[in-house]
Amino acid sequence: MTVRHTIGPDLGWAVFLAVLGAALGLVAQWGVIRHGWQGTLELQIAAVEKEEAARRLAAIRTYSLEQVLQLHQEGRAIFIDAREPEEYRELHIERAVNLPASQISPRLVAAKLAGVAREHPIIVYCGSVDCHASLRVAEFLQQQGYTQVAVYVGGFRAWDEAGYPVDIVR
Amino acid sequence: MWAASAPGMKPGIPLTSSAKNRLILIARLVLGGVFLYASVSKIFKPYHFAAAVQAYQLLPPTLVALTTVVIPWMEAVAAGALIIGWQPRSALLVLSALMVVFLAAIAITMARGLDIDCGCGLLVERPVGWLALLEDGTLLLLLLGLYTALLPASHAKTDVAAV
Repeated sequence: MTVRHTIGPDLGWAVFLAVLGAALGLVAQWGVIRHGWQGTLELQIAAVEKEEAARRLAAIRTYSLEQVLQLHQEGRAIFIDAREPEEYRELHIERAVNLPASQISPRLVAAKLAGVAREHPIIVYCGSVDCHASLRVAEFLQQQGYTQVAVYVGGFRAWDEAGYPVDIVR
Repeated sequence: MWAASAPGMKPGIPLTSSAKNRLILIARLVLGGVFLYASVSKIFKPYHFAAAVQAYQLLPPTLVALTTVVIPWMEAVAAGALIIGWQPRSALLVLSALMVVFLAAIAITMARGLDIDCGCGLLVERPVGWLALLEDGTLLLLLLGLYTALLPASHAKTDVAAV
């Protein structure tokens, strides 16, 4: 009985706090609601993500398809495929190592890049120019102390369309 | 510093010299701080949070927008109330309810096998999984523990007896 007496007013004030928060949110960020209503929320999210990716890419070295091909032919860089394992198994840049962005961890990096010097050139790529997985993996590798990390922004699609060497996992 | 006699503050909660009350004050400040930080990061980047909500694939776009706007502000108001000691038990109930919603969303997403970022709004990005579930479950237990600790002494005893 006494507990009920305590919880009753607590619930009342909890509803007040929740309604106050909701009202403040609606007033302060009505623009987000409008995008949801008008069906433009996804476009807005994509635009913000693209802007964010461009800002983050500005802080990391990037390579074009031609530059990457040259580095591949010279065998001077390690290629990292940041896509999911299923996509990697299907087809990937010849000699690339799979480090999925969704599973990235210090342990995985240590296992996949065992014996690779921190200053060894590393090129990370994902599916296409629109994906951000390569950026996430490249940033993570930088945090792990790798100093020569770059992103190949064209992604696997451009490489494959150009007919450059690929591998499959048998 | 907030004192026991601050307006709107429930009697007997903060600040006495007893160790228990000091612990309660610390717990309020820490838990309130964690939730305030999490909410502010979502409020200042609403479209990032919208992307995280959308990734769960549980809601249509209109409700994604509503969730994006409403949840962080509820979190912020409740965390602020908890920190300043205004209706702290009610603030804990709001935060607990939000944690139940987060836990349900994470559990459903795990059951569906989606591999997405949890969008929890704390220091590091982490995927939906057992760690996120454990983290949110622990937070829920701490919230409920603090709620029980904040009950007036006679009510707390009744509560324990009822359990």
